[in-house]
Amino acid sequence: MRLAAIIVLTFRELWAKKIVIGLFVISTLVWVMLAFALNLDIVEGSLAGLRIFGQEPMTVDPETNEPIPQIFTLENVVIQVERAVAAIAYWAGILLALFATSSLLPSLLAKGRVDLLLSKPIHRAGLLTGHLIGVLLVMVILAIYLFGMVWLVMSVKSGIWKFHFFMGMGIVVCMFGVMYSVVTLLGVTTRSAPLALIVTYGLIIASLIFTGKDQLVPQINPPWRQVFLGFYHALPNFGEVTVTVLKLTGNEAVTTWYPFLSSMLFGAVLFATAFFFFNRRDF
Amino acid sequence: MLPAVQVEHLSKRYASAFSKQVVQALDEVDLRVMPGEIFGLLGPNGAGKTTLVKILLSIVRATGGTATLYGIPARRAQARRRIGYLPENHQFPDFFTAEQMLDVYGRMAGVSADDRQRRIPALLETVRMMQWRHTKIRKFSKGMMQRLGLAQALLNDADLILLDEPTDGVDPVGRREIRDVLVDLRDAGKTIFLNSHLLSEVEQVCTRVAILNQGRLIRDGSIAELTAVDKVYEVVSTPIPEALLTTLSSQIRLLDGAATENAPLHRYQVTAADRRTLNALLDRLRNDGVLLEAVRPVRQSLEDYFIEVVTESV
Repeated sequence: MRLAAIIVLTFRELWAKKIVIGLFVISTLVWVMLAFALNLDIVEGSLAGLRIFGQEPMTVDPETNEPIPQIFTLENVVIQVERAVAAIAYWAGILLALFATSSLLPSLLAKGRVDLLLSKPIHRAGLLTGHLIGVLLVMVILAIYLFGMVWLVMSVKSGIWKFHFFMGMGIVVCMFGVMYSVVTLLGVTTRSAPLALIVTYGLIIASLIFTGKDQLVPQINPPWRQVFLGFYHALPNFGEVTVTVLKLTGNEAVTTWYPFLSSMLFGAVLFATAFFFFNRRDF
Repeated sequence: MLPAVQVEHLSKRYASAFSKQVVQALDEVDLRVMPGEIFGLLGPNGAGKTTLVKILLSIVRATGGTATLYGIPARRAQARRRIGYLPENHQFPDFFTAEQMLDVYGRMAGVSADDRQRRIPALLETVRMMQWRHTKIRKFSKGMMQRLGLAQALLNDADLILLDEPTDGVDPVGRREIRDVLVDLRDAGKTIFLNSHLLSEVEQVCTRVAILNQGRLIRDGSIAELTAVDKVYEVVSTPIPEALLTTLSSQIRLLDGAATENAPLHRYQVTAADRRTLNALLDRLRNDGVLLEAVRPVRQSLEDYFIEVVTESV
């Protein structure tokens, strides 16, 4: 009952700050736009015509340099649309969600408020767990809504009912959790939402450099090469995981799970550290 | 009977990770509050009062000594089951209405749904907030927040209620009402641990007080004991003959204006080094035909006493 109360408190705070509503509206816009802007003409199970906002997608003929209609298979269209949505959800969705949730924990731990919470017969670990479950639950619900509605729209329009799109959703939610571990640790130790957000965004931007690891490493001299690789292995590989999301969404085999797994390990270590500090610190 | 609160050799040292500054907020404090007491913890700003309360609630960790609530170490969550707490400058999530806030915080305190349904309206009525039960907290004044905070602290029908400046920002009428609530709680057998700067208020409701200064417990006792002035008594009697009064002028002083033969009773201040001297003095008065009506030790106000001991201890 006590854990549920903290989950409710977190959920109500997200709702009250219009965060849930904002993300819900954005998700709705995405699937509504797909429902109305994408026209698929299907004849006997094959794609006969495709229009986006009433326009046929065009490409350039490499020989004549003239614009010609782009040819797609029906499955290819579904995969590309779902990939685009997954990529948007992964990047824009997570960045927005982090922005929206970064102030929650510092506000929960504000003087005068945390005292009341800690005076209840709840373990500190339970308090933090309740908060994290609340935040992740809201993100899962929003992800299910976005991915579910897009999947439904595309499946109804195309007649192709495949579920691999939801694999990408799982990675998106997990990676939000990984990045939220940074917000949590900094929230617990500094109670500063802006600092938590800046560092989290900094790590995401830094991870873009890691996507070029194979090209960069041969050009870096020791000992900086080891330093670079040390950071690569220790920090979350947010940029590289984009490839995992796209491959899973496109029902392709994932060549390496390392970036995702090392990121998950990073998240687990940061959450454990956050719990350690939260259990020990004075408020 | 287990003490509601017991602290032994309790110490708290704040050390900054970034500077060499160390603050000894509590230094070997020993304290015991028995069930049913209304206990007032007094002290100037920075004396360590809030730190002590926070250690009892495990909001702050002690660096030495022990603290127990009803015999259970204060660090254990189980120790807080019988506790209600109103912190100083508390903040409730302002998007809740009064009723919603009490419901959520009641759930956190482990109050069952049935009990919440029954107790929330009753408590809102007690603190005169019933008419604002559906109003968002962000619209409340400081005084209303204090009343709501008090309702929150009483929601789990706690045996021990810790109140940090409960009347802060409350108008005189509201203060009186809060004081009445505290007296009702005392009558119901609850233990109250009160942190307050308002000494007159503490004097009116507390059965026992302790004074902290610079992290040390400098006094602990009942208000009557602490405020009794050593060796000074008030004697109410028939008029003492002028000659005798002149003879004993170093020990007896008339308090109530000039003495007249017609005045039936006068008040005198009597100074006696000890009980034996006092009795000898009273015998002498009686031998001279003075009839005694009352003899009582002179008390100073809690505020005077507080200022005196805090100044002495610096």
